[in-house]
Amino acid sequence: MKLSLSWIKDYVNLPEDTDLKQLAYDLTMDTVEVEDVEFMARRFDNMVVGVIEAVEAHPNADKLRVCKVNIGDGEVREIVCGGINLKEGMRVAVACPGAVVRWHGEGEPVVIKNSKLRGVASYGMICASGEIGLGDLFPATQEAEILDLSAFEVPAGTSLAAALDLDDVILEIDNKSMTNRPDLWGHYGIAREIAALYNLPLAPIKPFETDVPSDFHVEIEDPERCPRYIGLEMSGLSVKPAPYRMQNRIWKVGMRPINALVDITNYVMLATGNPTHAFDADMIQGHIVVRRAAEGEKLQLLNAKELELSEDDLVITDAAGPVALAGVMGGAKDSILPQTERVILEVANFESTGIRRTALRYDNRTEASSRYEKAIDPERCDQALALSMQYFQEIYPELKVTGFCDKYVNRLKRAEIDVDLIWLEKRLGKHLTDDQIKGKLQMLGFEVQIEGTNMHVVVPTWRSTGDVSIKDDMMEEVARMYGYDNFEATPFKTTFDGAINQKDIDLVRNIKEFLAVRCGMQEVYTYPWMNDTYVNAVLQSTEGVLRLSTPPAPNLSYIRSSLLPNLCEAVARNERYFDEFSIFEEAQVFKDGNYTSPYDESEWLPEQKRFISAAFASNSKTVNLLFREAKGVLENMPRYTHMEAFRFEKREKPVWADNTVWLNVLLGDEIIGCLGLLAKKVSMDCGIKNLSTMLFELDSTKFRPFISRTNRFTHLAEYPETDYDISMLFDVNVTWDEIYDAILGEKKASALLKSAAFIDEYRGRQVPPGKKSVTIRLTIGSDEKTLTSVDIEKAAAQVMVKLGKKTGGALRTQ
Amino acid sequence: MKDRIDGIWEEVRKKISEAASESELQNVKTGFVGKQGALSLLMKELPKVDASMRPEMGQLLNQVKNQVTVLIDEKRTALKLKASEVPADFDVTVPGIMPSSGGLHPITQMCYDLNDAFRSMGFEVYQEDDITSELYAFDKLNFPANHPARESMDTYWIEGHDKGAANEKLCLRPHLTGGSVRYMQTHKPPYRFIYPGRVYRNETTDAHHERAFFQYEALIVDKDITFTSGKVLIQTILSKVFGKHVPVRMRSGFFPFVEPGFEIDMECQVCGGKGCSVCKHVGWIEVMPGGSPHPNVLRAAGLDPDEYTGFYVNIGLDRLVMMRYGVDDVRLFHSADLRFLKQFR
Repeated sequence: MKLSLSWIKDYVNLPEDTDLKQLAYDLTMDTVEVEDVEFMARRFDNMVVGVIEAVEAHPNADKLRVCKVNIGDGEVREIVCGGINLKEGMRVAVACPGAVVRWHGEGEPVVIKNSKLRGVASYGMICASGEIGLGDLFPATQEAEILDLSAFEVPAGTSLAAALDLDDVILEIDNKSMTNRPDLWGHYGIAREIAALYNLPLAPIKPFETDVPSDFHVEIEDPERCPRYIGLEMSGLSVKPAPYRMQNRIWKVGMRPINALVDITNYVMLATGNPTHAFDADMIQGHIVVRRAAEGEKLQLLNAKELELSEDDLVITDAAGPVALAGVMGGAKDSILPQTERVILEVANFESTGIRRTALRYDNRTEASSRYEKAIDPERCDQALALSMQYFQEIYPELKVTGFCDKYVNRLKRAEIDVDLIWLEKRLGKHLTDDQIKGKLQMLGFEVQIEGTNMHVVVPTWRSTGDVSIKDDMMEEVARMYGYDNFEATPFKTTFDGAINQKDIDLVRNIKEFLAVRCGMQEVYTYPWMNDTYVNAVLQSTEGVLRLSTPPAPNLSYIRSSLLPNLCEAVARNERYFDEFSIFEEAQVFKDGNYTSPYDESEWLPEQKRFISAAFASNSKTVNLLFREAKGVLENMPRYTHMEAFRFEKREKPVWADNTVWLNVLLGDEIIGCLGLLAKKVSMDCGIKNLSTMLFELDSTKFRPFISRTNRFTHLAEYPETDYDISMLFDVNVTWDEIYDAILGEKKASALLKSAAFIDEYRGRQVPPGKKSVTIRLTIGSDEKTLTSVDIEKAAAQVMVKLGKKTGGALRTQ
Repeated sequence: MKDRIDGIWEEVRKKISEAASESELQNVKTGFVGKQGALSLLMKELPKVDASMRPEMGQLLNQVKNQVTVLIDEKRTALKLKASEVPADFDVTVPGIMPSSGGLHPITQMCYDLNDAFRSMGFEVYQEDDITSELYAFDKLNFPANHPARESMDTYWIEGHDKGAANEKLCLRPHLTGGSVRYMQTHKPPYRFIYPGRVYRNETTDAHHERAFFQYEALIVDKDITFTSGKVLIQTILSKVFGKHVPVRMRSGFFPFVEPGFEIDMECQVCGGKGCSVCKHVGWIEVMPGGSPHPNVLRAAGLDPDEYTGFYVNIGLDRLVMMRYGVDDVRLFHSADLRFLKQFR
C-alpha cells in the first residue's frame, strides 16, 4: 500500500523538520514494514513549466514545429516538438537537459540532452503526459498530444513538481506486514499510529448529521454478513472531473482518477480504509435490500465479468435483482454512468470471511474486497460517511440529500481485557510505570483504567474485530510502543538434569559423515515428489504411493515411497559432467498405508519412514569392482557408526535390479534394505547412457544403534604372523562364502590360521573355461612360538587340501 | 719447517673447501693425512729438525693433522646433506592430490553447525515427519479457519486426503511449528529443543523462492521467560554462522502462532549496515520470524499459558547458507548437481 505524506499530514500535524528516514524506521520497528520512501519530486528533476511564445514551422520537417519557449531563466529557448496541439501562450511541461523521460511513454528511461532535430538545435523537450509518467493523471485523448498545463496558473520556470503538487513523499508499506491490522489500511489509521509514536494530536473527523425525512430505506436480510449499511440518496450531481487536488492524491498512491463521483468513493476508502460505493439512483428500482444471492442468479460486474452467483454470495439488490457484489464490486448497470445526476451512496460494513470467499470464487479481488477481508469495524462507516459528504458538498455545492438510512443491525462489541500488571512486568522483563503503559495505549484509542495491579482495558472499535482480544495482545501493544529495541536481551536460566543422549539422531549424523568423509560420497537433496518417468522406470508400480492433489507439475504428482527414482534422475543429470561419482540421500518416504494416530486420536497419519539411499556410478569400473565398493560401504557402515551389523542374503529381488547382481540387507531376520546393480533396461529408461549404477537403499528407522561401544580389545600378537597368498582354481559357481567357510568355518583348516581374506578373482587367459582363479591371503601365526618356514608351508598346505576336498579347488599349476 | 706446515695447512684448507664430491674429499684425505700424505711425510722429517724446535713442530703438526680431519668430516656431512637435497627447480605450485572426494550437503553442514551450538546449551534435537494434518499445520497453531495459507495455492495437499475436517486433511508440512506442538504434547516441560526440517509451499519458483526448503526452529518454554530471552537464541544462531557478533533488531511482526510476534533483522553483512543493493539500502536483512508461542498454541500442547511461556525462532537455512557462501539461486540446493555441491567441502 502506498501512502502520501502530505495526505497523512491532513490528520496528524507532523513537524516540517521530521526526519523521514527516522519516521520510516520507527513505523517499521513498531507498526508496519515501510519498504520504500520515495521523494516523488525526484522523478521530475530538471522539468519546469514553460510558456510557448511562438510556434514556427520546422525548415526540414513537415510534422515538427520549432517552439520559442520561456522557461523562466531569462532566455527564450528553441525547442523542436512534434505535438499536434501546440499553440502560443500554452503552458507546457519542459524536460530540460538532465531530465529523465521515456520516448512516447515506452521503453527504457532516457536522459535528455541538448541536441539537434533535423538540423535545428533543441533545448530539451516539450512533453506528452505519458513521456513523464503522468499518463494516468493527465490521460491524452489522441496521439502526439502535448500535456497542456494552461490551467495551472504558475509563472514560467516553476518546477514541474511544485506546479503539479507532486512534491510529496510516498511511503510504500509491505501489505503482508499489516494483514492483521484492518485499522491501518488507510491514511487515517497510519496517521493514528504516527500520532501515538510521536505524541502528536490526531485530527478528529467531524460526524455527518442529517435529519432529512424521507421514505428512503434499506433492508438487511443477513445481519451476520452485513452488520451495517448506510444508504444516502442525493440529487443535483453530475459526472465531471474531481478537483485536481483529489485526482492528484488518488494518483500518487497508485489509483487512477476517473470522475468526481467515483473519485470521492475511492478517496474516502484510501483515507479511512472503509470502501464506499455510488449507485446511479435513477437506475435503482424500489429500495435497497442486502441479502444472499439465489443460486444461479446473474450479475454483470463493472469490469464486464458475467457472474452466476452462489448462495454464499452477499449481494446488494433492488426490486429488479442484484446491483452489486457486496464488498467486492459494483454491477455494470447501476453504478455511476455518464449521465448520472442522482446517487445512492453506500457506506457499509461486511463480514470479512464471506467477502474473501466471494472474491476468491470469482477470482475478483479488488481494493474494496482486500480491505473488507481484513475485518473492518462497523463504526468506521461514520468516518467514511462524514468524509464522503464533506467532499460531495464541497464539489457539488448544489446537492440535496433526499434520503438517508443507517441500518446498524449487528453492533460491534468492544473487547474488554484485564491485564495483571505483575504478569506484564514478568513477561516484559522490565518495569514500566503506570503512566508509561497508559499514555501510549490511550493515544492508540484504548480506554485504560489501572486499579492496584490490575489494568482494565477497553479496546477501540477499530482493533476489536479480532486483532486485540487477549492480554498477550495488550502486552504486545505495550512492548511495541515502548520500542522492542529498548528491551535488553536477558539470558535464560537453565537447569541441568543430565546430558542429552539421542542415539538415533547421532546415528544418522554418524552415517552421513561416514558416507561423506570415509567413503568419499556426496550428499544430495532431491524433492519429495518424483518424476513419472523415473517412477515408471525404477518403481514400476504406483501401488501404495501417495500423490499430491495440486502437484508442482502434472508429471510430478507422486511423492516418494523410495529415494531411488530421484537418485537415478540425479545420476542421469550428472552424467553429462562426470564419469564417475557416488551420491547419497537421507530423507523421508511415504506410504499410503499403515495409518496410525500417534498424537491426536482423531488424526490418522500414513506410514512415514526415513531411508538412506545411495548410487555409485562409473563408466569405467567393472561391475565386479563397483559392486564390491558399494558392498564395502554397507559392510563397514555398522562398525563405523556404532550399530548392529547387517547380514546379506538373496531373498526378494528389487524390481529395478539386475537379475544376478543384487542382495537384500538384513538385520536379524528382517529385510531392511537392498543393494544391487541397476538393470540395463531400467538404466536406459532413466536416460543413463554409459554409466553402470549400483544402488542401495536402507530403512534407517530399523537401525539399532549400540548404547555404547561394543568391541573388545585384542592383545597384540606376541610372535610374528605371516601373510601367505595362495591362488587356486575353482568352478565358477563356487562362492567366496563357501571357500571362506571351508577355510575358517566350524573347523579351522589349520590351527595356526588367524584369518583368510579375499584378494581377487580372475577369469580369462590361462584359466580353463568354467573355472576361476581366486587369490586368498592367509594369515598364519602361533600364540606360543615363532613359526619356521616349514610350519608355515604345512599350515598353507592343510588349507589347500581342505579346499580341494570341500570345494574342489585346485592349486594353479603354471 | 713451520713455513712448510703453514703452506700445507693453507693448501689443504683450500682443497677441502673446493671438494665437490665425497670421492674428491677422500682424495684430499689420502693426499694429506694418509700414510703417504703430505702431513705424514712431514712427520717423518721431524727427527731432522733442530732438537730445540722439535717438540713445538711436532705439536703443531699433530694439531694441523687433527684440524684437517675435523674439517674433512664436517665437509663430508655437508656434502651428504647437499646430495640428499631436492633440486631447486622442484615445482611447489603443482596442485595437491585430493584425499577423498565426498562431502555433506551445505544445508546439512549448516544444520550440524547450529546443532552443535544449541546442544552445547542443552537443547535436544527433534525430528518429525513431513506429512501432517491440517489440524497440526494450522488449527493447533491458532490459524483462523479462513486463513489464506490453508488454501491449495499455498499448501500441498495429499490426494484423497484433501477434503473434510481438519483432522482428516493431510498435507506436506508447510512449516515446522506444528511439529513443535507434537513435541510439547509428548514431552514434559520445561522445553529446550531445536527442530531442523524441510517444509513445502505451493509456490512459483525463482532464484529466491523454492517449493521445498529448510527451516530450523528453536523453542524454549519455561516459567518466567521474557520475550527478550529470544535475543539470546538469535545471537547464538548468527554468531555461529558468521563467527562474530552480528547486530540484530526485533520489530513488530504478525504470525498467528505467536503473541507478540517479531520479524528479526540482522545487520547486512555485505555493507556492514551502511546500506547497499543487497539490503535494499536499509542496512538490515530480514532473517527470521520469532516470538512467544501464542497462548492457544501452548493450550493445544496441553500447557497452561498463565504458567508457561517461551520463545521461538524459525530460521530459513537456505537463506543463511546463501548468505554464508554468496549463493544466488535457492533452487541449486535441490538440484543434486555435483558441480554445485562439490564446492562445499
